Amino acid sequence: MSKKIVQIDMNRVEGDVDFQLELEDNRIVDARCVGSLYRGFEQILLGRKPMDALVITPRICGICGTAQLNAAVLALEHLARLPVPPAAIRIRNLCLMAETVQSDLRQSFLFFTADFCHPKYCGLSLYDKARAAFLPFQGEIYRGALEYSRHILEIIALFGGQWPHSSYMVPGGVTTPANSRHLIDSLSLLNKVTRWFEKSVIGMPLDDWLALQSVDEFFDWLEAKEAHADSAIGLLTRMSREIGLHRLGCGTPHMISYGAYDDPEDAENFSPHRKRLFKAGFLNGDTGSIEPFDQSEITEHVRYSWFLPYPGGRHPFQGQTVPDYQPHSDRYTWCKAPRYRDKVVQTGPLADALIDGEPLIHALYRAEGGNAWLRQFARLHRTGRLLQAMSQLLHELAAHPGAPHIFPPADKEIPDGEGFGLVTAARGALGHWLQVKDGVISRYQVITPTAWNASPKDSEGRHGHWESSLIGLTVEDSDDPVEIGHIIRSHDPCLVCTVHLLDTGKRLTVWP
Amino acid sequence: MTALLWLQTGSCGGDTMSMLCADSPSLEDLVDEYGIEILWQPSLSTEPMKKLDALIEAILADRQTLDILCIEGSIITGPDGSGMYDPYRGRSKMSLVRELVEKAEYVVAMGTCASYGGVHAAPPNPTDCLGLQFDKKNPGGLLPIEWRSRKGLPVINISGCPAHPNAMTKTLAMLASGLPVELDHLNRPKAFFNTMVHQGCTRIEYHEYDVEDAEFGNKGCLFFNLGCQGPMTVAICNTELWNGRSSKTRAGVPCFGCTSPDFPLDHDLFRTEKIGEVPVHLPLNVERANYMAYKSLAHEAAPLRVLNKKMDP
Repeated sequence: MSKKIVQIDMNRVEGDVDFQLELEDNRIVDARCVGSLYRGFEQILLGRKPMDALVITPRICGICGTAQLNAAVLALEHLARLPVPPAAIRIRNLCLMAETVQSDLRQSFLFFTADFCHPKYCGLSLYDKARAAFLPFQGEIYRGALEYSRHILEIIALFGGQWPHSSYMVPGGVTTPANSRHLIDSLSLLNKVTRWFEKSVIGMPLDDWLALQSVDEFFDWLEAKEAHADSAIGLLTRMSREIGLHRLGCGTPHMISYGAYDDPEDAENFSPHRKRLFKAGFLNGDTGSIEPFDQSEITEHVRYSWFLPYPGGRHPFQGQTVPDYQPHSDRYTWCKAPRYRDKVVQTGPLADALIDGEPLIHALYRAEGGNAWLRQFARLHRTGRLLQAMSQLLHELAAHPGAPHIFPPADKEIPDGEGFGLVTAARGALGHWLQVKDGVISRYQVITPTAWNASPKDSEGRHGHWESSLIGLTVEDSDDPVEIGHIIRSHDPCLVCTVHLLDTGKRLTVWP
Repeated sequence: MTALLWLQTGSCGGDTMSMLCADSPSLEDLVDEYGIEILWQPSLSTEPMKKLDALIEAILADRQTLDILCIEGSIITGPDGSGMYDPYRGRSKMSLVRELVEKAEYVVAMGTCASYGGVHAAPPNPTDCLGLQFDKKNPGGLLPIEWRSRKGLPVINISGCPAHPNAMTKTLAMLASGLPVELDHLNRPKAFFNTMVHQGCTRIEYHEYDVEDAEFGNKGCLFFNLGCQGPMTVAICNTELWNGRSSKTRAGVPCFGCTSPDFPLDHDLFRTEKIGEVPVHLPLNVERANYMAYKSLAHEAAPLRVLNKKMDP
């Protein structure tokens, strides 16, 4: 039996991630997910005025800054008990959805599908079609994704001034109303993106496609017409299934979703008690049931992280982030290990759809379990749902002309106290926990979606979700492990991740 | 062909995301029309990382030309000067960048982080980061201020958090086309940094007549009370709109001065510091006494449609 340790480096937007894998005869027996970049945001926020979080925290992530901004403003509003008018909720939702559509298109067609053009697959019957669609800078879908992800972001610019990194969600609402010019511009942009999605991504009208509910209906759709089979999702699905991605990369069965998009009809309720358009919950993988979500059940462990140690797990309101870099110890990452009800969980579009009760994703999950293809498919299915939901939002805004877009807070200072903001970013559950003392931030803890998924081991030695989705996998060629690329990219680890092994001669440690 | 290598150091990836939004020229245009060959871009390259290793090796051995080296992100020197808060294959990115810049015809800092340190260098600067050739506004960063690339230029700073998409792609197109790139005192290309943010702001009439907002969500000027740094900041935000559509100040969000070396400022970002009734920081190069006289006159002259904020920005 040959045993070796290999390291896989990945680049992505929110920081760098490496994997250190232990292989026995090409089978992965242990995995360590290493967040290797430390930037110190939680320390930078200490001592600043609470509102500054609206400028600083979007800069945590270049691809989901709108979601960061929303989490920050919800935490401030929760702390100060500030009401928000329905139009502000609609404008926020519209921008959050546009950002997620952008991220889903880029993740799917700039980062995930490019792997199908790998020379390893040249013998497959779909290879030529895959290249024509997905080849970087040349494929038709690749170029479409570049163009239409730009257009959808123009909607955010209309309300927020720019994307990325603006601060237009402020306590009490948003800075700009939805006037009729903005609404028609937004509708035109949305229509342009939706028409492309229908023509190139699904090959049929959106409403009809979203009506597919069962496994049979879905596979009948796939085979019914060439326009479906050769659509971007058709090709992605057929290619994935031909190479077996529907059997790989399950990971932990437990899932969480914070729910997405505050319900404007429930505006009079304060965040976080406001209803949401997509439901929150905890999918208990042991029982298969969906249970109510309660943020007080979240803890973070640092046993295997480069932070000053404390025993067990701590809720973010008791959280502590003091760097303690110990590269030569058994600690291995800048990620903490978040746990929900002391369980390892995954988050992201698959978890969101299952917890929300979306029928098609639910049916596919029941049929085949969690896997890399379904995770990717759930993401693009969400894109379709969001395009539909954005249209609805624009029509609701148009139906209430002149409605207030902000309730300016009576008190200009954010009082002392604590609050949290939980949102669904493109990659899943994102939370900010804020405490204010003597008028300035005394604690700010952020748990990103990738922190849940890329979690290291916890105090009990239990692996995080990505780690466990790799353990047990057999790698064909440890010099170019495309399988790992598919699995990790299906989790959408903050933008692209380029998955790589070190050259055998250099850093690879081989034990006899 | 113009060979371009893009590395991310301490970064959120926002400059890459911003560049994907460029439309004049777009990223595709740079590849299709300007002959830019992207040797490596961490978000876009699909080849295994072995290719980046091989590329770096070839560049350092002078076997591969490197026309343009783009750096996105703060240069992280911590902990204790090791740079290992931001490692690459067991070494620091900091040391890798130091070697690569010597091989590049041009070095371009994409964003305020790579230019001056940026948000990660805000107090207490937990990771000890700085910019490529500046440490905030102080000359000298990772490289001394006298440093020059093979073409005889200092690091070209396209500051902004993120950098403006078209400022990035236009600069790259200029370099690829052999057009001269003239720099200002902070080594920013003058073509994009010789315009105040508030030039072209649709709230400018309110600014002229001193009609100022005291709370968000309104139509007036954000300079006097709400922290807007548009009159002190150079950038093209209001002359070449973001995402082809708008700008922060047009949308009622203060300019936070994100192209400046001291971004983000240490004090309250949503409130204007004042001495008495007058902001501490006045529009660029304006004398305090003159400014106060002008403002009171301007306010007197304001038409009712402006005073009553009847005009949409």
